[in-house]
Amino acid sequence: MAGRSPWYLAYRRLRRNRVALGFGVLFALIVAFVLAAPLWANGVADTGPNATHTLERVEVDGESREVVNREGKPVGPLWFGAGGKFFLGADGRLGRDEMVRLMYGGRTSLFVGVVASLITVLLATVLGLLAGYRRGWVDTLISRALDVVWAFPVTLLAIALGLALATGGLQIGPLHLSGDSIWVPILIIGVVYTPYVARPVRGEVLALREREFVEAAVAQGAGSIRVMVRELLPNLASTLIVFFAISVANSMLLESLLSFLGVGVQPPNTSWGTMIAGGFELITSSPQLTVVPGVLLLLTVLAVNVFADGLRDALDPRAKLRLEAHAGAPEPEGHAV
Amino acid sequence: MRKPQAALVLALLTIVAIGVSSCGGSGGKEGGTLHGTYASFPELDPTINFTAEGLTAMYNTYLPLYTYAHADGQAGTEVVPALAEDLPKISKDGKTYTLTLRNGLEYSDGTPVKASDFPASIERAFKLNSYGSSFYAAIVGAEKFAETKSGGIPGIEADDKSGEIVIHLTKPRGTFVNELALLYATVLPAGTPAKNLTDNPPPATGPYAITKVERGRAWSYERNPAWEKTNGELMPDLPSGHVDKIEIDVVRNKATSVNEVERGKSDWMQSILPADLYSKVKGKYEGTQFRVEYPLNTYFFWMNVSRPPFDDLKVREAVNYAVDSAALERIYSGALVATHQILPEGMPAYQAFDLYPHDMAKARTVLEEANPSDREVTVWTDNESPNDEAGAYYADALEKLGFDVTLKTINADVYFQTISNPETADLDTGWANWFPDYPHPNAYFQPNFAAENIGYTNLSHIDEPKLDAKIAKLGEEQLGPQQEDEYAEMDREVMEMAPWAPYGTNTVSTFVSSEIDLDKVIFNPTFGQDLTSFQFK
Repeated sequence: MAGRSPWYLAYRRLRRNRVALGFGVLFALIVAFVLAAPLWANGVADTGPNATHTLERVEVDGESREVVNREGKPVGPLWFGAGGKFFLGADGRLGRDEMVRLMYGGRTSLFVGVVASLITVLLATVLGLLAGYRRGWVDTLISRALDVVWAFPVTLLAIALGLALATGGLQIGPLHLSGDSIWVPILIIGVVYTPYVARPVRGEVLALREREFVEAAVAQGAGSIRVMVRELLPNLASTLIVFFAISVANSMLLESLLSFLGVGVQPPNTSWGTMIAGGFELITSSPQLTVVPGVLLLLTVLAVNVFADGLRDALDPRAKLRLEAHAGAPEPEGHAV
Repeated sequence: MRKPQAALVLALLTIVAIGVSSCGGSGGKEGGTLHGTYASFPELDPTINFTAEGLTAMYNTYLPLYTYAHADGQAGTEVVPALAEDLPKISKDGKTYTLTLRNGLEYSDGTPVKASDFPASIERAFKLNSYGSSFYAAIVGAEKFAETKSGGIPGIEADDKSGEIVIHLTKPRGTFVNELALLYATVLPAGTPAKNLTDNPPPATGPYAITKVERGRAWSYERNPAWEKTNGELMPDLPSGHVDKIEIDVVRNKATSVNEVERGKSDWMQSILPADLYSKVKGKYEGTQFRVEYPLNTYFFWMNVSRPPFDDLKVREAVNYAVDSAALERIYSGALVATHQILPEGMPAYQAFDLYPHDMAKARTVLEEANPSDREVTVWTDNESPNDEAGAYYADALEKLGFDVTLKTINADVYFQTISNPETADLDTGWANWFPDYPHPNAYFQPNFAAENIGYTNLSHIDEPKLDAKIAKLGEEQLGPQQEDEYAEMDREVMEMAPWAPYGTNTVSTFVSSEIDLDKVIFNPTFGQDLTSFQFK
């Protein structure tokens, strides 16, 4: 093993985990699927995600059919019967192409999930490093502030913030975000998950700062910022990567919930959450409008979670060993409980 | 023997005939308990409630001096006496209304109804800052009372002995009788606390009294003992109702309500059917348990005429040509009836016309003639289905017409406050609907097109002095055939200015169980289903 970097070793361990790799590939396929939205929209469906076709007709195997019938029921999945148009049918009474919206909606969901997780990890890293390394009143201040956020159930807090901000928007200094901005749910999700990452990061920093390499850096005259950035941060990398991956899945789920309740992604933007909400009204007559985005969301979250598990095992095999040791350890004997 | 036998047969035939006639035809069961569901819980205080649900709930419980005829369609827009003996005598200058309270009326708690209860009830509306109090601000001294909340309203004279009530107005008001027939003017005992009495509703004068309330969940009615004793006889033109008891449960899931009516667990659902089930229920039960109803309303897209590009008449005309009511009918699942004018069918003064039949090619031509330099527009709509979809359709139609559109979908709870606030940025155009407070054409034109309502209900910011003067003049006159013609003309004139692109009247529905005689259920265009008309077969 001499000469092998820890990253290479992690890569080898990950490669051996077929389940995690399989779900990683699935996630990559989903990402590719949503990134191909403009190709499908322009090349196959010949429509945009917000273009309405209420009164139009579509040729299906030589037969002319209404996109939306007189009672407002949308056409169901046509697969390739109309050359790929309305592959999954129309989305409702507006007659928008469900497949096109699914692909564009997936881009929004993934974008919200990834960017919100970046905000979570960034905030958590800064706060965790400061609290864990400086300790004292800085730690007290940050930890208590995080406790305040922690005290609220994450979903309820996000809904409350979503309700307040979806109406009036958000003013941060000179920057104004209107209520329908995609950045409103991103910021909400990014902030509400911060304590859940910041606290473990702080704990790890508290342990790391007592290690010899930190003492050596301090002895060589390194300042606090240098120690935090150059010594501690690289040692937190594997933890942060795993938290980021898990956070993407959680953020996507929370976005869907907020959008389902009408306080997340706002029209005309679409996400899988807004699509599930939009299709819910037609659940009995057109269940695919709810089921398809729901299944895609489920698969994405599952893929990210399983892959993140594999990533954690690969990056920190001691965690796995500890878990296995704990699971396999004999029950304590001879002790009265 | 033959004669007695013939007489016996004749007698038997007569008995059978009487029996048959009492079972069928105009018959039906009297009594029983009507079980209904609402999707939301209304305020059960007539002075406070301003929702359609509340109007239906209290139409037969709380009576003002006047009410609206218990009839369907346009017949239901007629104002008829309730607690007052007759329609008021109006002075020549149109500023004094004189009427007499019926003698011997009682509240459901046995308290006699007195003429002085009326001014006390109007004062209570002002004390509560009721939405409807503005209808009575033209009474002499009412505006001062609205500020001070004390000292009484000198413009109302009431004589308990004779029952005479004289109301003095600061200026003639042609809609005042309509406004006296609203629930805000319900006569309640003087001394009724000026607070929301939903939890413990005040005593009733109508055929039913609310006897039990579980806020947010349920309420029930029983026959009003005062109606049985005196009020029913004193107000013979008002129906007494068929059922003895009415129990209403709040069932927020409309699909559940549909299911309960289908299974006969509930006899009626007040809420509109969910879009997903509308066609199925209509197809299966229309004519037997389901009927489409036509309340007075107009759904439209407003255009802000005070800022580009909608300050140009040609642009507004182009938009009117571009909006396709047929598409919107489908967006509303077939529940919308297409129209392209301000007044809805059924409203007094309604005369059908269509200045802008849908023609996208013509819309593009007219827009090119206008050639507006500013083509960036913001379309506003709320987030309730299908209004959000109507807004999305409108945004797409404007895109197709050649505009660069930003769609803003905001929470329905704050939608109208937002779009009526002139300080809101980018108020270009958007979705809205209008449900008049009472069936009078002035209830459309004055709020929506009078310049004094810019910043409130005049969403198009239209400020035309000639139109203002005409609205004001007609607003002072009692509605007659000549005024109806003038309002019909105004309807056309406003559409020629095209501040709105109206697209339809939304219908509602009556859906009852198989036990209820649907033919007898009355839908009043202002109050909705008339609970006195429900009868078990």
